[in-house]
Amino acid sequence: MGTINSAMSLIGGALDADQDALSVVANNVANANTAGYTDEKPDWQENAPITVGGIQIGDGVTETGATSQRDRVLEERLDQQQQIAAASSARLASLNNIQALLTPDSGSSSATAGDIGSDITNFFDAFSSLESDPTDNALREQVLSSASTLAGDISSAANSLNGQSAALSQNATGIASQVNSLTGAIAQLNLEIESTSPDADAGTLEDERQQDLSQLSQLIGINQVATENNGLSITTTSGQLLVSEGESFQLTTGTVDGATDFFLGGTDITSQLASGGGQLGGYLTARDQDIPSALNSLNQIAYYISTQVNTDNNAGVDAEGNTGAPVAGSITGAWTLDIFSPPPTYAANLASDGTDTSGAAAAMTVVMTDPNQIAAASAGNGTGDNSNAVTMAGIANQAIVDEQTPVNFYSNFVSTLGSMVSEVQAENTAQNASVTQLQTQNNALSSVNLNDEAAAMSTLETSYQAASQVFTLLNTLMASALNLGEETTVS
Amino acid sequence: MDNRTTKAATIELKALVAEASQALAALDAPRLEELVHSCEALNRELAQENNREQRKQLARQAREAGSDMAVFGRVLEATRANLQVMNRLREMRLGRLEYKAQGGAADWAGPLPGSGDGNH
Repeated sequence: MGTINSAMSLIGGALDADQDALSVVANNVANANTAGYTDEKPDWQENAPITVGGIQIGDGVTETGATSQRDRVLEERLDQQQQIAAASSARLASLNNIQALLTPDSGSSSATAGDIGSDITNFFDAFSSLESDPTDNALREQVLSSASTLAGDISSAANSLNGQSAALSQNATGIASQVNSLTGAIAQLNLEIESTSPDADAGTLEDERQQDLSQLSQLIGINQVATENNGLSITTTSGQLLVSEGESFQLTTGTVDGATDFFLGGTDITSQLASGGGQLGGYLTARDQDIPSALNSLNQIAYYISTQVNTDNNAGVDAEGNTGAPVAGSITGAWTLDIFSPPPTYAANLASDGTDTSGAAAAMTVVMTDPNQIAAASAGNGTGDNSNAVTMAGIANQAIVDEQTPVNFYSNFVSTLGSMVSEVQAENTAQNASVTQLQTQNNALSSVNLNDEAAAMSTLETSYQAASQVFTLLNTLMASALNLGEETTVS
Repeated sequence: MDNRTTKAATIELKALVAEASQALAALDAPRLEELVHSCEALNRELAQENNREQRKQLARQAREAGSDMAVFGRVLEATRANLQVMNRLREMRLGRLEYKAQGGAADWAGPLPGSGDGNH
C-alpha cells in the first residue's frame, strides 16, 4: 500500500510540477507583446528519492520558480551598440542640417544662407565689371549690392549655426534630465532586485531594469558593473559613477563661457560625455566639434575677405578723389573707405599681430552706403582710373584664406563637410545593422532552448561567411570594372 | 557576351551592394548565398566584356557603388565583432554545461553566472 501511495504521490507531484510549468508558459504567452518582457523558464528541483524495500526510487521534480532567459553579456553588447548608433544618429541629423544650410539646393526654401560660393564669385566679378567703366554708377551699385548679398548670407549662415548650437544645448539638457530620471529608477530597482534575488528570480523587475538600461544606453554612453545579489553599478564610459546599487548621482548643468556644460559631482564632464556615445554624445559632438569647425571656416572667409577688401579700398581713390584714413576715435579699427564692417577681433589682432577670426562671420555686414566711395582708382591716377578695381577683382585669385583663394577655401570646406556626412552616415548605417543583428540574437536567446540558440548562432555564422564571400566578389568585380573603364594608349 | 545581360547587371550594381548590406543586417543567410552566386556570375560575365561603352558604364557603376561598398564593409566588420561576442558567450555557456554535468545538477538550461542574470 505504501508503494501505491508513493507512486500516487509521485504522479501527483509530477502533475503539480507540470501545472506550475504551464503557468510559466501561460505567463510567457500572455506577455508575448509586452515591451521588454523576457521569457521565463521553469526551474526544476530534484526531489529526494524514496526508499522502498531497500531500493531507492526517484521522487520526480518540483517546480521551484521561474528564471528569465536573458544573457547579461549579450544585453550589454546590445546596449553598447545602441549607444554608438544613437550617437551617430544624433550627430548625423545635425550634420545634415549644417550641410543643407551651406550647400542649399537651387530654389530650395531651406536655402536661408544662399550659396556662399556663388556669392564670393559674384562679388569679385562685380569688381571685374567695374574695371570696364569705373565711373558707371550702376556698376558701383552692383559692387555694393553683391557685397551685401555675400555679407548677408555669411552672417545668416553663422547665425543659423549659432541657433543650431543653442538648440543642441537645449536638447542635451533635456537628455540629462531623462538620464537623471532613469538612473534614479534603476537605483530603486537595484534595491528591489537585490532584496529579491537571493531567494527568487526577479524576472519582472529585471525586465524593467533592462528596459531602463536600454533607454539609458540610447541617451548616454554607459558602462555596467554587476554587483552582489544581482545589483548593478553604472558609470559613464569615462568612469564617472551614475548609479551605485541603490544610489544615483545626478547630472547637472551650468553655463561656462556662454555654453551649457554638464557636471557630475561638481566635475565638468562635458568633453567626456561628447565622446561617450548615446544621443547626448552625438548632440555634444555636433555642438562642440562640428558646428565650431563650420563656424571657424565661415569666420576665416568673412575675416580675410573683409580685411583684404577694406585694406585695398582704403589704399585707392574713390569717385570723389578721397583716399582712406582711420576713423577718428574708432575702437574697431575702422577706416573711412571700409566696405565691410571691421571684424570684431580686427583691432585686437592689429595690436597683437594675432589671427583670431572668431565672430567675424556673424558680424559681417556692409557699412558703405555711398557707391562713390568705392576706390576704383589707384592713388595719383585720377578718379577715372580702374587699376585699384583690377587689384580688388584680383583678390578672388589670391591665397588669402588659409593659403587658398576664397572660393577654393569655401569649396574645400563644403567638400570636407560632405565627406564627413558620408562617413557618419556609413557609420550610422553599419551600427544600426549591428543593433538589428544583436536584437535578433537576443530575441532568439530569450525565448528558445539551447538547440535553437545554436541554430541562431549558426545563422549568424553562415550569414557572416556568405557576406564575406559577397564582399570579396564585389570587390573583385568593382576593381575589374574600374580597370575596364580606363582608357589605355596603344602605341 | 549578351549586352542586355551586362546592362541589367551593371544598373543594379549599387543596389546589389546595398541589398547585401541589408541582407547581412537582417542575417538573411539564404539571400546572401544567392548573392554569392550572382556575384560569381557577374565576375564571369565581366571577364568577357569587350564592348567599350559597356566598359565605361561598368566603371561608372563601380564608382557610384563605392560609398555603398564602404557601408557594406562596415556592416561586415560589425558582424564579425558580434560573431566574436556570440562565440565567446557560447563557449562560456558550454563551459558551464560541462561543469554542471560533473556536478550532476538538473537545471540543464539555466542562465549562467557571469553571462546569465545570476539569479541562482
